[in-house]
Amino acid sequence: MERRQIFDSIAALDSTFTMRIPDGTEANVVSDAIGIHEHQKDAAAGNPLVAALQRALSFCNRIIVVLASVALIAACLILSYSVLGRALFHLANYWQDEASVILLVGATLMTSAYVQGQRGHIGIEAFVGLLPPLANRIRLWLVDVASLLFCSFFAWKSWTLMHEAYVEGRVTNSTWSPPFAIPYTLMALGMTLLCVQILLQIIIPFAGVSRR
Amino acid sequence: MTVFGIGVAYGLSTLFAMFSGMPIAFALGAVAVVFMAIYMPGASLDTVTENVYEEMASITLLSIPLFILKGVAIGQSRAGKDLYSALHAWLHRIPGGLGVANVFACALFAAMAGSSPATCAAIGSAGIPEMRKRGYSGGLAAGIIAAGGTLGILLPPSITMILFAVAAEKSLGRLFLAGIGPGLLLVTLFGLYAVFRFRKEYAAARALYEKTGVEAAILHRDDFTMAERFSILPRVLPFVLLLTGVMIALYGGYATPSETAGLGGLLALVLIALIYSVWRPSDLGPIMRSTISQSTMLMMIIGMSLLYSYVMSYLHISQSAAESIIAMHLPRWELLAAILVLVVVLGFFLPPVSIILMTAPIILPPLRAANFDIIWFGVVMTIVMEMGLIHPPVGLNIFVIRNVAPDISLSEVIWGTLPFVLLMMLAVLILCFVPEISTWLPDQIMGIDGSR
Repeated sequence: MERRQIFDSIAALDSTFTMRIPDGTEANVVSDAIGIHEHQKDAAAGNPLVAALQRALSFCNRIIVVLASVALIAACLILSYSVLGRALFHLANYWQDEASVILLVGATLMTSAYVQGQRGHIGIEAFVGLLPPLANRIRLWLVDVASLLFCSFFAWKSWTLMHEAYVEGRVTNSTWSPPFAIPYTLMALGMTLLCVQILLQIIIPFAGVSRR
Repeated sequence: MTVFGIGVAYGLSTLFAMFSGMPIAFALGAVAVVFMAIYMPGASLDTVTENVYEEMASITLLSIPLFILKGVAIGQSRAGKDLYSALHAWLHRIPGGLGVANVFACALFAAMAGSSPATCAAIGSAGIPEMRKRGYSGGLAAGIIAAGGTLGILLPPSITMILFAVAAEKSLGRLFLAGIGPGLLLVTLFGLYAVFRFRKEYAAARALYEKTGVEAAILHRDDFTMAERFSILPRVLPFVLLLTGVMIALYGGYATPSETAGLGGLLALVLIALIYSVWRPSDLGPIMRSTISQSTMLMMIIGMSLLYSYVMSYLHISQSAAESIIAMHLPRWELLAAILVLVVVLGFFLPPVSIILMTAPIILPPLRAANFDIIWFGVVMTIVMEMGLIHPPVGLNIFVIRNVAPDISLSEVIWGTLPFVLLMMLAVLILCFVPEISTWLPDQIMGIDGSR
């Protein structure tokens, strides 16, 4: 089968098996399950630079998702250890909560680009369906630009915050006291990736590729 | 500009940003940052990220991804179907037992998974075809599942309740306990209604049979032997034990709510590995991806909603709004009714998490001033937000039902869920007259809350 046909049939299967998951997002059951996504289809055509950037980002996101999964399970293990340690050996809980917080915040912020890649950050689409298709495409593009502006500001301030915390050697207010620079770096990296993802989604219509 | 002017501008810009279809998280964040830049000292912009991090880095809030992990792990396994078949086998002798089994299965599954749409999808995909095969009307079958699913955000561990506890600065354990009584009340109401409707549909089919001799599926009875009933238990019991074990850990004082989340997530993964042999990375991949998509989306909304309400309170918008509501001196129950109507209207557009975080600073002070028990109000507000899940225009559960049972028409689903919306209103009324349904259990277990 041609590459094109394969992607088209995956898209067809996706539209049949689209599953709504809690809180309004939709998951593409088929492409999620086999790990092939439409933006990879986009990468097959169009501007080579954009395509390369897309491939790089989706590779990056795939690794981050694996790491974030490990972080989630690690947080579960740490919290369970803290319960058992206290119940069985009367161990004090002094690092467990904070370690889980760093793991979970890191996992959340680092995967925000992955979620944006799936258009998983939900918005209110109740009225925009009434717009004609062209106006809707322009609206979507403007919304992306606005999102990019906000996220760039946030990413910039995250880097300055990280730099400050690193230079001043700030640590958290606890007995374990890990440096603040660790979670702040995760936040800055995650938000930067998110910006790159949105930027890609903005330039794709101009790169001669169908837009996701 | 006066506080009133700024407040109106803030509200209108939020509406505009939201209805432009911008992702809720970025819309809230962007509006907050723009207003910070205009009305707050320049230095405050430097602390935006620190603020968001500090608000998000709370172990109570961060238990949400872990509760989602537990819910997705159980939701994507066959646990829902097994739970449903077990209850059906045990309850089939009661007239309308199949409907009641579905309500119970929804309640139990909701308590394990903590998510409304996931409950609808898991129990509905097994329950709706079964009910239809036995001659239940499509509307009744859809209504039972849609309404049963809403128990997900009332029974612990409910994500909306975690947020309410954080926003209202109340004990999460107490709030969880306060949801159990009303949850059981709703289960009873839904169950009774299912029996009532079954008897009506049964009587109609019976009359038709006596008149024309056409036998309807609803008139058939099926039997399960004792061996069949017991053979299904080994698959279900571990999950019920997980549920009770986690609750004992929480209320026996062995674990904090966030530790419970970690323990629950881990145990759910272990159970699906042992019972359904879901342990290979390729099996876990979809579970983890779905968990990450849901929890990241939700946590971003939460983080930005916190920034949004921080700006609202810095600019004195929430305080002034709360003060002017108090100054209206509305009679107690009219105040409550007005606030609940506001929640219903917001529920048309917004997910419960943003409703709680955005309105809490405005509506909680007047309610405190009017001497309402905030824990009790949290439960009532949760039920009202649940109604939003099963009525148009957004009613998420309705769409889930449409996906698992495409042969039932949308209007049939909507008419089928309507009586359940009325039952939920009835439950809210009952809770207003008998608040003890909600407060008795936490008072018994944790002692009377002095800070009310």
